[in-house]
Amino acid sequence: MTEPTRTEVVDPLEPWPEAVEWRSVSPKLITVELISRGILLIIVMAGLVVGWMASDFWLFPVLMAASVLLAGWRAIITIRAVKAWGYAERDHDLLVRHGLLIRRLSIVPYARMQYVDVTAGPLERAFGLATVQLHTAAAASDARIPGLAPVEASRLRDRLTALGEDRAEGL
Amino acid sequence: MTTDAQPDPRSRPAPTQDAPHPQPALAEEEPRRRLHPLSPLLHGAKSLVVIVVGLSWQTLAQIGFEKFALVVLGLAVAVVIFSLINWLNTGYHVVGKELRIQDGLLWRRNRAIPLERLQAVELRRPLLAQLTGLAELRLEVVGGGKTEAPLAYLTVRDAAALRERLLALAGRTPAGEAVTTPGVTGAPALERPLLRVRNRDVVISQLLTPQAFLLPFGVAFVVMQFVVEGAWTFIGIASTFTAMAGVLLQPVRRVLQDWDFRLARDAGGRLVVRYGLLETRSQVVPLNRVQSVGVTWPLLWRRKHWLHLRLDIAGYAGPQGNGNDKRSDRLLPVGDNDTARALIGDVLPGVDLLALPTTPPPDRARVLHPFALRRYGAGLTPEVFVTRWGRLTRQMSLVPYARLQSVRVIQGPVQRRLGLATVYADTAGGRAGVAHDRDLGEAWTLAHELATRARQARGPAPLVTGEIAPDAAAAPMDSAAAPANSPTAPVDVPVADRAVPSPGEAPPGEVPPDDDDVWKRPGEARP
Repeated sequence: MTEPTRTEVVDPLEPWPEAVEWRSVSPKLITVELISRGILLIIVMAGLVVGWMASDFWLFPVLMAASVLLAGWRAIITIRAVKAWGYAERDHDLLVRHGLLIRRLSIVPYARMQYVDVTAGPLERAFGLATVQLHTAAAASDARIPGLAPVEASRLRDRLTALGEDRAEGL
Repeated sequence: MTTDAQPDPRSRPAPTQDAPHPQPALAEEEPRRRLHPLSPLLHGAKSLVVIVVGLSWQTLAQIGFEKFALVVLGLAVAVVIFSLINWLNTGYHVVGKELRIQDGLLWRRNRAIPLERLQAVELRRPLLAQLTGLAELRLEVVGGGKTEAPLAYLTVRDAAALRERLLALAGRTPAGEAVTTPGVTGAPALERPLLRVRNRDVVISQLLTPQAFLLPFGVAFVVMQFVVEGAWTFIGIASTFTAMAGVLLQPVRRVLQDWDFRLARDAGGRLVVRYGLLETRSQVVPLNRVQSVGVTWPLLWRRKHWLHLRLDIAGYAGPQGNGNDKRSDRLLPVGDNDTARALIGDVLPGVDLLALPTTPPPDRARVLHPFALRRYGAGLTPEVFVTRWGRLTRQMSLVPYARLQSVRVIQGPVQRRLGLATVYADTAGGRAGVAHDRDLGEAWTLAHELATRARQARGPAPLVTGEIAPDAAAAPMDSAAAPANSPTAPVDVPVADRAVPSPGEAPPGEVPPDDDDVWKRPGEARP
């Protein structure tokens, strides 16, 4: 690739470093993600073991090795991806950034909020986590923050709701 | 939008709040009204066509004409009876600022449509409805993938009157012009015609499409097949043509749909779009409901300097770009640059189509767009976010800042190596303004600029309590810029409701640290 003629070096995950104070999500989310991936791996492995025992075909051990390797790689990615997840509340909008391979940053103004979702699956709940998602009228808007402590989740939800109602201009 | 029939205290507004004329107050307790008595027959006829098409030519050949006719007759009777029962159970009425519609026999539905959320109203008249003087009224509200409330059918006069009334109740008319509305409610309002597309142009434009060029080949293929095989049966030819019609007759459908295309501004300043030959449509769109405008310069039209304008409204948000003809999103089926320029100046005041500056992505993005790099571009004008793309079919999208829902910056792995990023400006219309492959620093600037301008275009934040955003007063809330955007400036209806900070809103930070609190709703903020 030719040398890019950048005028300034900007970190793709740190726009406006002086103006925005990023918060990261709870590191417990790593455990949750790893457990759910582990469960998936166990299910896949069980299926493959049954298949292997039934047919003794050489492809099954290969697939098993491949899925273990893949799971290991995904685990490393997961750890880094959770660390990359961040959000920031500015005066007028919420910033959410996530993703490693494909990096995404969403800027959602409070005034555009239609509703806030707080969800938590059984595993998330076991670790005391919740997911807050902000919805706007545009289906493409992507403001989801997983791995929040319940206190933080309810604080965020109340703040978003309050700000959204004050500045409501949905469409 | 399904709610129970229980009366909602919020739906009864103070009559003086934002309704400039007294109609809503009179309409408080009006009785439920039925659709026109001919509706079941029309519905039945419509379903019958679908059934007959479903039975196909093959069935006709197999069971013979008499039996076929008998089957169709039986189905027709069944369908009409079913429609009749449905009709008996369907009713609508306006309650406060809501339109309520009840329908269904087994699954009763009782929908309340809040008129503040009304995006556009369309009056459709299929062929049969035209013959009987009826019309279908369709309301577009945000939320459903499909049209929320088709009222089929009403007499044209009733439909037009109801439409006027709903739009007036929606209360989004510019205050200055609304004064003229009460006198003409129910009657066709005074309209200022904007333009009329010549039918000749529509026909020519549809001849200049890939499908029209393919049509002769398709016909030749079919004829060849029959000549070679020598199977000249009526059924064979008919079914082949039916199959072809679906694909290749799109230009013909377009011509029929866009026939006699007219645009006007009504007394309330809203846009009135009328078109269609076999099925006429007449659509009223308040200008502040326009989410974005798309401009297309197809390759084959370029010699003629023609273009196509598309209007995005939140209610029509469907799957993007599947060439769906059912959507009523035309602003100009075909026209030259000057017409489009005048029209866009009318719809998005202050925007000059031919003087929209855009800058292409940096040269190192050529790897991603080897041929069309110079055709990509993005630009910020005082009123809209402009993006353009496409080499053969040139396209442009104009998103007014006031309609922006959210901004996204996305960077894929290849873009990261090149130091590029793509900026999306999401709208409720489903189509986003996309600035492809900008320099990363520029992308951040663009995103920041979009967010800032969107905030300013929405007007100053109505009422910000100190505990929620202590620095809101210090924020550069350019209130001087707001009047410049007056057509899109919000009529702050909800502000009056919220002038008193409700006690339920606990200041953030004082939420009890309780796990269960996550699952509670925030304190009832509405009085």
